[in-house]
Amino acid sequence: MATALHPPEVRRRGRGRALLAALPWLAPALVLIIGVVLYPAGYMIYTAFRKITKIGVETGAAGWSNFRTALTFPAVPIGKVFLNTFVWTVVVVVATVLLSLALAQFLDKTFRGRKLVRLAVVVPWAASVVMTSTVFYYGLNRDYGLINKALVDLGILSAPYGFTQNATSAFWVAVFVAVFVSLPFTTYTVLAGLQSVPGEVLEAAQVDGAGPAVRYLRVVLPILRPAIAVATLINIINVFNSLPILRVLTGSLPGYGADITTTLIFKYKTALGPGVSSALSVVNFLVVLVIIAIYLAVVRPTREV
Amino acid sequence: MKRSAVLTGLTLSAGLLLAACGGSSSGGSSTSSSSSVSSPASSAESSPASSAGSSSAATSGGSSSGTSSSGSTAGSGGSGAPMTGDANLSTSISILAPSYADSSKSDWETIISGYNKLYPNVKVNLQIEAWDGFTDKVQTRIQGNDLPDILNDNNYADYVKNNLLYPITDVMSPATFSSIVPSLAANGKGTDGKQWAAPDIASARIMVYNTQLFQQAGVSTPPKTWDELLADAQKIQKLGNGISGYGMPLGKEEAQVEASLWIWGNKGDWVDSSGKITANSPANVAAFDEMKKFIDGAAVQPNPGATNRQAVADLFNQGKLGMYITHPGLVAETRKKFPNVKFELAPVPSKDGTTNVSLGVTDFIVAFDNKDDSRKQATKAFLDYMYSPEVYQKWAAGTGLLPVTEGAIKLGEQSTPENKPFYDALPNVKFLPQSNPNWSNLQNALQANGGEIATKSGQETLDDIQAQVDAAG
Repeated sequence: MATALHPPEVRRRGRGRALLAALPWLAPALVLIIGVVLYPAGYMIYTAFRKITKIGVETGAAGWSNFRTALTFPAVPIGKVFLNTFVWTVVVVVATVLLSLALAQFLDKTFRGRKLVRLAVVVPWAASVVMTSTVFYYGLNRDYGLINKALVDLGILSAPYGFTQNATSAFWVAVFVAVFVSLPFTTYTVLAGLQSVPGEVLEAAQVDGAGPAVRYLRVVLPILRPAIAVATLINIINVFNSLPILRVLTGSLPGYGADITTTLIFKYKTALGPGVSSALSVVNFLVVLVIIAIYLAVVRPTREV
Repeated sequence: MKRSAVLTGLTLSAGLLLAACGGSSSGGSSTSSSSSVSSPASSAESSPASSAGSSSAATSGGSSSGTSSSGSTAGSGGSGAPMTGDANLSTSISILAPSYADSSKSDWETIISGYNKLYPNVKVNLQIEAWDGFTDKVQTRIQGNDLPDILNDNNYADYVKNNLLYPITDVMSPATFSSIVPSLAANGKGTDGKQWAAPDIASARIMVYNTQLFQQAGVSTPPKTWDELLADAQKIQKLGNGISGYGMPLGKEEAQVEASLWIWGNKGDWVDSSGKITANSPANVAAFDEMKKFIDGAAVQPNPGATNRQAVADLFNQGKLGMYITHPGLVAETRKKFPNVKFELAPVPSKDGTTNVSLGVTDFIVAFDNKDDSRKQATKAFLDYMYSPEVYQKWAAGTGLLPVTEGAIKLGEQSTPENKPFYDALPNVKFLPQSNPNWSNLQNALQANGGEIATKSGQETLDDIQAQVDAAG
């Protein structure tokens, strides 16, 4: 309607004024985005190309040398670190999503005490990740850990085992903890999705002779697609960037057998300074963008049902 | 179609936001709690405060002229807090220090409040951080161009390399500096011959052994050579019941100390005569292979590569460890909290049994150059006050470690006779090569890879370490 009544330049001016008028309302969000997303990201990229000594004194431009150092630092098996990163992200996200689908299905049923169970599922979410990891770290201690003692007393282990004291087992303990702390958010996202599955559709499917498995795969899952998409995407980014779990559980181990790129960034910051660790952060950033692009291209999670 | 594009955009931007925030969500390492202001702190407060008060009153008259002889004699009459600066000095300085004990924060605050009685217009900002991640805290402040005027740290060569420091003798009166035992003070002298740092506390490493376990295993005297050490450790480990022979902490915390004890025991060293780091010298490799022999020969606690010294001390305190190399703080804890553990102290064993391998560590005070003369003056006045006998003695006692000034060592020997073996070791200790500009690279490489000796050969482990030191340059 408005378009028909006014010539184009008036419309443009009107739009500009509208934008100006909207600015005060947008400002807090803009300040936040610029302040906590764009500026740090830009500064990280800038730092990646600066020569900065280990203790933080900037001494000039570095070109690509920080990237070279980050990828070729002696004794760091960089290929293994990337492989670890891939395994870490894929295993944690897939296990989390599958378990969440089952858990959400269970929590969607009505039963006595459902509220309490739903509350219990939230607890790992409410606790700080560092705290949860630390609880597992001490619980699994070979000499006085409660979990170790329980496993021995139950006869599952014949002697206490230092779960967090060699790279391989510590890495898988970290995977377990990561799934544990990722479950609540994912479960609740899926649960929210389940609420939007219309009862009539399921009934109709039943009338048409679809069994429970077919109903779930052909009716429920497609409706859950957007919810799963959001949960998966956020999980990928979160898990990929997760520092605290691996840092607490594997940070004191020698060597780099349990490192992913994110924990390696942290180790580089101490050993080589902010320049090299920023360079690896930039690489990390690109890798996560690529992973997300692949995910969006292959799975097309936002495609309409 | 349009909706899907909007959804994609939304999820992507949410993702980016998370990606940007996720990286920085590490757990903030806690600063030491200041809640436990205990009685020693308040008693430390009372006596320097009174002497400081009197000397302040005495000097305030003469301070403006500075040449007045009556003022200077009155000022020096006090019992220990010298007044070397202008009382009207008005500026602010900042201190960054690690937490040695729960009382560290209040111990520093005691010094600051005494100092402020002399120099009421100098505002002193104190930041106390845990040792864990301390280097990162210093790095953050340097990168943010917020240099602390006074830093208490275990490393100084990096700051020298970056031209950030005053020579410590510029911000300390000669009298103050000469109160520090010369052999310890020498540890703060850079490879360029300048005195960049002043030690503030010292520590020595000695072996501690559990006499009951020794008895049970039929070992009568503490081992002197590596062969005896191996045989005794294996005997003790055979007692079973989760008991280990020798505690070998090669985890992040102190891999550099444990490794140094072994290579020195084989007459090796980290640095060659020209000052170059040679981690993978033949003597060092042989020492690492010896460590491997201990690990493979069931003589040490499980997973040595992932064990910190505190974890080894915990085992010892529970009576599950025959012996380990310890320091005064850990011994004091065992004595106080675990009276059932009977122990003796002995020299650190070496390959031939005669090489002296007492290891010493000093921490340092360094002063950053903030290009501000009044801050420099205030810093100098602060350090002179801090090292004045009574003030320093109380501060050093609060750390649980050994003091570095002649006077405080004498007092310490009397007040803590149980630390006598450490005081006796102190004059002959060998220091880590802390003045070497590449020392921190070596320390990082040792902490990151030293524990690999459990799964790799000595040559491989030390080649990796050498390569990292060379690459970090």
